[in-house]
Amino acid sequence: MSTLQEVAGGALRVQNVERTFALKDDVVRALDKVSLEVPVGSFISLIGPSGCGKSTLLRLLAGLESPDAGSLLIGDKTPNEMRTAGRLGVAFQDPALMPWRSVWKNITLPLQVMGKPVKDFKTVIEELISLVGLQGFEHALPSQLSGGMRQRVAIARALVTEPEVLLLDEPFGALDEILRRTMNLELQRIWSARRPTTILVTHSIEEAIFLADKVAVMSARPGRIIEIVDVPFERPRVPEIMRSSEFHHLADRLSELLFAGGGH
Amino acid sequence: MKNFSRFARGTGVVLIVLAIWEILGRLELVGQGALPAPTQILAQLWKDRSDYPPHLSVTLKSAGTGFVIGNIIAIIAGAIAARFRIAETLLRGLGMSLFAVPLIAIVPVLLLAFTGTTPRIILAAMAVYFPTYIATMNGMRNVDERLVDVVMVAGGSTTDVLRWIRVRSALPYIVSAFRVAAPAALLGTLLAEFGGGTRWGLGTYLLGSLGQANPSRLWSIGLVATAVAASAYMLFAFIGARLTQSSMSATVQTSLPMGGATGPWWKRLGGGVISAGVVLGLWALVLSILDMSPVVAKSPFAIVRYLTTDPRASVSRSRLFDAYSETLPLALIGLLCGLAAALLLAVILSLRPALGRAVLPFALVSQTMPLPALTPLIVLVFGRSILATVVVCVSVTFFPSFVTILQALATTSPAAIDVVRVSGGGRLKSLRFVGLPGAVPAMVTAARLAAPRALLGVMIAEYLATGDGLGNLLNESRGRLDYGMIWTVATTSVLVAVLITQLFGLAEKLTRQ
Ligand SMILES: Nc1ncnc2c1ncn2[C@@H]1O[C@H](COP(=O)(O)OP(=O)(O)OP(=O)(O)O)[C@@H](O)[C@H]1O
Ligand SMILES: [Mg+2]
Repeated sequence: MSTLQEVAGGALRVQNVERTFALKDDVVRALDKVSLEVPVGSFISLIGPSGCGKSTLLRLLAGLESPDAGSLLIGDKTPNEMRTAGRLGVAFQDPALMPWRSVWKNITLPLQVMGKPVKDFKTVIEELISLVGLQGFEHALPSQLSGGMRQRVAIARALVTEPEVLLLDEPFGALDEILRRTMNLELQRIWSARRPTTILVTHSIEEAIFLADKVAVMSARPGRIIEIVDVPFERPRVPEIMRSSEFHHLADRLSELLFAGGGH
Repeated sequence: MKNFSRFARGTGVVLIVLAIWEILGRLELVGQGALPAPTQILAQLWKDRSDYPPHLSVTLKSAGTGFVIGNIIAIIAGAIAARFRIAETLLRGLGMSLFAVPLIAIVPVLLLAFTGTTPRIILAAMAVYFPTYIATMNGMRNVDERLVDVVMVAGGSTTDVLRWIRVRSALPYIVSAFRVAAPAALLGTLLAEFGGGTRWGLGTYLLGSLGQANPSRLWSIGLVATAVAASAYMLFAFIGARLTQSSMSATVQTSLPMGGATGPWWKRLGGGVISAGVVLGLWALVLSILDMSPVVAKSPFAIVRYLTTDPRASVSRSRLFDAYSETLPLALIGLLCGLAAALLLAVILSLRPALGRAVLPFALVSQTMPLPALTPLIVLVFGRSILATVVVCVSVTFFPSFVTILQALATTSPAAIDVVRVSGGGRLKSLRFVGLPGAVPAMVTAARLAAPRALLGVMIAEYLATGDGLGNLLNESRGRLDYGMIWTVATTSVLVAVLITQLFGLAEKLTRQ
């Protein structure tokens, strides 16, 4: 299919991006000359202290905001072009579900916005629902779900359009540790099937390493990328690697970087 | 269990009041039979049962048609205003005029321009416009930004956001505006029916029964009108409850973002002038479409001429002035009494919740009873006097003011109350030092919201009963075919009403600072 061809051309290139927010009597430099390259089909984790601009960077990549300076490109397309073409999948830090729509209908929303016939995606949606473990809740309203379940709906929604670029902002932040591990494995499986270029923001160093090809570490005030660390493990990865000394070594290194970068 | 005992006590209070009413009625203790006993009213209703279907069906049809038309226009206007700031500025004058205008002042003008039930439909449409317009605009504007992001990320445009989010988010607001709009449509229709048009309609029936010295009939018509208004209200309350899992506030936000056009004063003034121009333009447009004779239809210029260069201008001016100087003070007194009553009940309710709860159902009933049907009853009981006019005024201004003040009393900061408590003060003291000062801005807000109702109340009383002031001037001018005066009263009453609400709006801003 021709769309798959286009996936191949879509390396993600962020160059000298700056973004400041004007507050009442103060300006916040959310991003200060941030540069980042993500090859096509690779997976990058983004970690950093709270308020260092991770969500801001993701919003820029999603075409929801524009940078004050610098450029962002996905292949030869701007984020906004990717957005209007419906080629992005985003799960926000907050599930942001429509309270009046059932689980099923929340997941179909992006398809409807893109004008795609929902019935062609019936099996895809069913698979996604079982993938995120929400069978039996298809017709529940968000108010009837737990926080973690809502977040899983949001993930399914981000995946339903089979996006070429996946932007995930702490999607598992609200889940308990056990569910989080399961979801990590599932995410790896989904991702391996189609290999969308992915950026995952997370607060968990373990999760960052387990899933990613590279981990980018940010520092706060001003928000900068201070280091990009390679993750050497082969795929598919099994949970056992988390007990390896190599893994621990990497984790120690990252947490050192985090503390050095003003983290806590 | 607690709910049940509360319910039982409420029913008990209602039964006791009905029993007292029955005794008062049977013994003709109030106004020599002006207050018939409930059983007598029901008996009359049964006797007249064949009168109702034709009247009621005409009224319901007019009110229903007006309700639909007015709401469609209001929703479209609200949606446009939500999207384009400039449209909001342009439409502000229209909304403000329709919010403030004493509808009865428009009736004679509508009767000049239209025949049959059309004036009733138009007046009903005018009555529903404002609440629905405001609700649509606010509902579409105040959407969850995170949901907007979701649609945008899926490649959506502003149109998609409108389609998938704004419309649905606004729906509960709009339905809760319908709750207010439905009784308002009935009110508009009844008022227009007072002016004539056809032989049928509940308002026509009421007007025809006024001179018959049959209080029971007036009361039963009032009862039927109340039942209609209350069921319309409850229908939309029910739909609204189904629609929102989460409960919404019981009141629609009817506060027009007054100076909402923020910015320098010259910009706001400019916006005001432009939006007033829109109203005048609409007026001219309607006149030119209707193609009426200039003898009957008056343009804004003709009205200015009527009051200035016309040979009889000074006579007209003094008649107009006399009418206003009778009507406005009464409206003001009524408004103040209504506010005082509202404050009193709100205070009682915050000090002695149980006592207040017993009074509340009656306040609610007085609220759902359509003003045109309520006025003759009040006049019956209190006579054709100033007192009756003031009571009418109180009855329409009381409830909305009460709700507004009660909300303010309820939201006074608990920390401030603790300070009073710690220094040895009780409930009364904390009310005096914390609650009441906090309620002052709410009183002013209540005054702004209630002022147009006060004016309408006085004018209806004058029109139907007392034969004074503006209401009477309207009546007289129709009789004399004084078209200039008919249009002048309509126009000036809009201007005066808007001016008054603006003044209260200004006072509101000052007190909130
Ligand atoms: N719309 C906005 N207006 C003003 N300031 C903003 C806005 N959005 C973000 N900021 C500021 O930019 C900085 C970065 O915010 P951002 O949400 O990107 O942080 P984050 O790294 O995602 O933090 P967290 O891990 O807590 O989610 C913060 O200081 C925040 O206050
Ligand atoms: Mg964030």
